[in-house]
Amino acid sequence: MSAFDLIAGVLLVASALAAVTLRNAVHAGLALVGNFLVLAMVYFALEAQFLGWIQIIVYAGAVMVLFLFVIMLLFDAKADPGLDPLPWMRPVGAALAAVFFLVLAYAFSRLGPVNPLADVKLAGGLPGPVGELLYGRWLYAVLLIAVLLFAATVAAVVLVQPGVRGARKKPQVAERERELEEVGR
Amino acid sequence: MIYLIAALKGLVLILLLLFAFAYLTWGMRRGLARFQIRLGPNRVGPLGLLQPIADAVKAIFKEDISVAKADVFVYWLAPVISFTFALAAFAVIPLGPEGSLFGLDPWVADLDVGILYIFAVAELAVYGIFLSGWASGSKYSLMGGMRSAAGLVGYELALGVALLGPVLLVGSLSLRDIVDWQGTHGWLLVWQFPAFVIYFIAALAEMGRTPFDFVEAEQELVGGFSTEYNSMKFVAFYMAELLHWITASALIPTLFMGGWHAPFGLPEVPILWLFVKWLVFIFIVMWIWASWFRTRYDVMIRFAWGVLFPVALAWFLATAYWVASKGGAV
Repeated sequence: MSAFDLIAGVLLVASALAAVTLRNAVHAGLALVGNFLVLAMVYFALEAQFLGWIQIIVYAGAVMVLFLFVIMLLFDAKADPGLDPLPWMRPVGAALAAVFFLVLAYAFSRLGPVNPLADVKLAGGLPGPVGELLYGRWLYAVLLIAVLLFAATVAAVVLVQPGVRGARKKPQVAERERELEEVGR
Repeated sequence: MIYLIAALKGLVLILLLLFAFAYLTWGMRRGLARFQIRLGPNRVGPLGLLQPIADAVKAIFKEDISVAKADVFVYWLAPVISFTFALAAFAVIPLGPEGSLFGLDPWVADLDVGILYIFAVAELAVYGIFLSGWASGSKYSLMGGMRSAAGLVGYELALGVALLGPVLLVGSLSLRDIVDWQGTHGWLLVWQFPAFVIYFIAALAEMGRTPFDFVEAEQELVGGFSTEYNSMKFVAFYMAELLHWITASALIPTLFMGGWHAPFGLPEVPILWLFVKWLVFIFIVMWIWASWFRTRYDVMIRFAWGVLFPVALAWFLATAYWVASKGGAV
């Protein structure tokens, strides 16, 4: 284990802990950004350049900007410590985390020596070789994931659409109809 | 030794960028004054040339305050983020061919994924503006920060998709390869004109310059994200903003106009020609700034999603079809 591994590991765990324990949601979000950046560094150290930059652009950049945007837009960014809307969630979460930890520990104990990416014909994880693999051998997996994400987007839009069942009326029209109804009575 | 040279080159580049920033403030104020038929700063030194130094002294000696409702940690972090990432982007732009800088390579970093690097740095720079808007504890600032985040997502997408065409044609994400390709095949401006137009418009939004300077918009938002900042923290934001302008003005010629190659068959001089093209773009942006109106915020977001993005996507598909029919990158 090198000094880099140690520092990266400590930083990863510390920022992840900060992300779930900080009371201020914006601070927690920033801790998560830090976590993503350290993760990108780990990818670079594993010679997975493309993956590292994509991690920064997509997760640390776009996704977290949207997260923070919504946090800032919706509320005062302060968590209310007295309120726990799902009290049964904590023990279940703890149990699942313990199971997950055991599974990971088992997987690691079975792991052989790790091959750096350069040995697996990915040439430093550059976009060209990664793309050839992604859109060659794994094309159908990529397509399936694309369909899944698209379906999720459509589902999200449908879920938040208010009152799609009834025919839509302009608010003015609805108000006028109510008035007419009252006059009729 | 390699690392030492890279660090030294980085240091020199930072000093040059800061010098360029200082004199861009002067040139910008004099230039804008010209456009508006007034004089601009002309009192400190000949032609007002010492004005940036006077401004720097003034900014340093101003009292550094922090507003009462601010979230102190993020309030201090935001200008640092903004400034750091604004400086970092220039590192991958090649200023000349290999070994043309007194035997050294005239770039700080030669990344195989240079374009991805620039995207990553540009996106992280937005955090500065965005966080300062929230941390200031002021509604004007928050509105400015929100606008920058929403604008970023729209324009960054158009920016990225617009660059897919040139990247497909060249077959590489390295800025050096893109410049070399243009050296043999001619400017990408000719090959990829729609991509250039979209990229330029989106870059204006990215820089926060008119017609897309809705992030500060003093008539509506007082000063937007930087309303509650003063002294050196404000200067850090100001620097970041101008550094984006400086970087984009070098990046656009690098991507679309042959980079350091001489235009129109003129003799090749490394660095000089990129400098000339850089000045041209600095001036074009200033010209637009001086003469255009600010677009309304909702109009420009709709423009980003409804016009720029679909057009960029269509152009990318057309390029992809063409490249595929030719059987690979040119």
